[in-house]
Amino acid sequence: MTCLVSLHHKQHRNLRINPQAVETQNANLHMVPVVLSEFLKLAVQYPIAFTKNRDTGRFVCVAMLGLEPGENLFVQEGNWDALYVPLQVSRQPFFVGQESGNDSNQEKLVVCVDTDHPGVSEQGSERLFDDQGSDSPYLSSAKSKLAELFRGETEIQAFTDALLELKLLQPMRLEITLENRQSLTLQGMYTIDEEQFKRLPDEQLLDLRHRDYLAPIHTMITSLGQIYALVRRKNATKPVALGAGC
Amino acid sequence: MNKPVKSVIVVGGGTAGWITAGRIAAKHRCSSESAVQVTLIESPNINIIGVGEGTWPTMRNTLMKLGISETDFMRACDATFKQGAKFARWVDGSRDDFYYHPLMLPQGFGRVDLCSYWQAQQGRESFSNAVCFQEQVCERGLAPKLITTPEFGSVANYAYHLDAGKFARFLQNHCVNQLGVRHILDDVVGVQKAKNGDIESLKTAHHGDLSGDLFVDCTGFRSRLLGDEMDVPLVDRSDVLFIDTAIAVQVPYEQADDPIASHTISTGQEAGWIWDIGLTRRRGVGYVYSSKHTSEENAQDTLAQYVGPAIEQLDVRKIPIRSGHRQLFWKNNCVAVGLSAGFLEPLEASALVLVELSAEMLAEQLPATRGVMDICAQRFNDTFQYRWDRIIDFLKLHYILSKRTDNDFWNDNRDPTSIPDSLQALMSLWQYRSPGDQDFTSNNEVFPAASYQYVLYGMGFKTETAAYAHTLIEQELAREQFGKNRMATERALAGLPRHRDLINKIHEYGFAAV
Repeated sequence: MTCLVSLHHKQHRNLRINPQAVETQNANLHMVPVVLSEFLKLAVQYPIAFTKNRDTGRFVCVAMLGLEPGENLFVQEGNWDALYVPLQVSRQPFFVGQESGNDSNQEKLVVCVDTDHPGVSEQGSERLFDDQGSDSPYLSSAKSKLAELFRGETEIQAFTDALLELKLLQPMRLEITLENRQSLTLQGMYTIDEEQFKRLPDEQLLDLRHRDYLAPIHTMITSLGQIYALVRRKNATKPVALGAGC
Repeated sequence: MNKPVKSVIVVGGGTAGWITAGRIAAKHRCSSESAVQVTLIESPNINIIGVGEGTWPTMRNTLMKLGISETDFMRACDATFKQGAKFARWVDGSRDDFYYHPLMLPQGFGRVDLCSYWQAQQGRESFSNAVCFQEQVCERGLAPKLITTPEFGSVANYAYHLDAGKFARFLQNHCVNQLGVRHILDDVVGVQKAKNGDIESLKTAHHGDLSGDLFVDCTGFRSRLLGDEMDVPLVDRSDVLFIDTAIAVQVPYEQADDPIASHTISTGQEAGWIWDIGLTRRRGVGYVYSSKHTSEENAQDTLAQYVGPAIEQLDVRKIPIRSGHRQLFWKNNCVAVGLSAGFLEPLEASALVLVELSAEMLAEQLPATRGVMDICAQRFNDTFQYRWDRIIDFLKLHYILSKRTDNDFWNDNRDPTSIPDSLQALMSLWQYRSPGDQDFTSNNEVFPAASYQYVLYGMGFKTETAAYAHTLIEQELAREQFGKNRMATERALAGLPRHRDLINKIHEYGFAAV
């Protein structure tokens, strides 16, 4: 169950966050939606690719955390083992909600908290408000992450639409053989079609430059090399004992 | 004689006209400066017949060749997915009598022929269920793909059901705006011919004379050019296929989100059969029957029984059918595509597929000059004579195995004098072995051997395997294939969405191109 309420400095005065629990909460997440502003930080460790939303078929830009559903190769022994944690994870347990105003029909955006999130606890290391009721540095940082994500959602959608319009997306097919000889096929992932990108007429290329899309396109292409890093992490994980009561 | 073929005139603006014009224009890159120009002239005073609502999977290729997006097409034409046909009450007419002719090949087709192994099992499982997962997908009202499957991609093979009137308008818009087809709305009031019998030009009511090098007759049952002007007679095939009348009605769904069948339902009746095709907002239902075997009053009653009380508020259209085809399809510089070439009862949706095959051959093999046109015409005639014959054989196959005796319609259909020799010969062979690819060796086949298997064994035909028992040595491989099909069935049933839900999502989100 999730319990979503808007954040209030009196009501949530004693609420604390345990950042480690936030990270391990996502131990089964094998991909996470990302925004353009974090591409460079992501590309140092994560492959950035596209997948389709199962309900709508629409493309979503994601960082890959594992090679199979349910697998997050970055969460190891209770820690998120990476230089950078994607915004969509590190902003938890906060999110942006809508609240209808009292004296107008306009809806305003408010910061909410999921009080049932395992990262919320009285023993957590991070306070949300100081004694005066002002935002703690931790909350301020979380709010700026939310703002970045909120802005980023429109940007990444426009970026995705531009790639689709130029037919720059292609399915990615990857057969991986692990050290234990187990083989797996990566399915449902899409990436930039480099050949099509090279063939783009000058006019369209210039348009991509003016919209500041060239850098993220190159970053995405380069980041695919991180799939090898994922394979390496997977090879390093302890094999699951077989035949144990299953 | 070396006059180049530069101008193609298509007469008639139904689906046949636009598919043909579009395929030629797309292949030959028509534009104002190009080598080949395509003009379509359509009478503003003649309505298109527009009853063809079922297609084959070939339509996916046709749409791709025309450069059409599947999402756009499905939204504009109220289109739905078709995964085959369910034949109800064809075997003995009882309530629970049905079988499927799905669009997917049997599991392992080409590697191992499962028919004999299935027959040896003596199981109660239907042939189609034993070798293919599509019957179950259809019975549960599921779609053949997911919203994440790309345009024209599939999980299970599929064709479409569509609104033919909307399809013609959609094609018109695409052909004119994207493919450079010139569109003239006018009546053809006369035809001028050259000494050699070629059509030189068409006299129009308001646009003067329209000259061309090749004329495509897409004028429907009238066959205004090939029939009337070129005097090519109709070869009547009602000696084999008795159906000569259709009464059709459009039935709205009771609730907006009623399930949509993902297959054509064909239900045997006393003197024919009723088609039932689910589009997005309505079903198309019609009774095709032999007027020699029942009265129109009885036929109306039969249709009313099937549709239910809703029929009181609906318009029932009557369409006469002449089973047959022209003696030639291409004569001099005039070729017929669509109803003008011929028509057969819509039992296996052969009308639109013949249009597609004709348009494809015309586009791919358009004669370069008048000099080589007669050679093209000869090849075209040979090809389509063969195809019409094979379709007639295959349609007849549905009737000859029925055990129904409730009306002479069924008895007469089993009379050997009404069964083509070619079909009788195959039936003799199939007494001892199942239909295989070696039975159908032309490059111009329309139905694969698998289709014959589905109908034969769906209708309860028994092949005596004793004569070839010594060849049944692949038990292990056969078992493996049956097992694979069971797993594929489980996966399909667990993963595929409801047909109606997918249609709603296509309208809301659309498919991606990749």
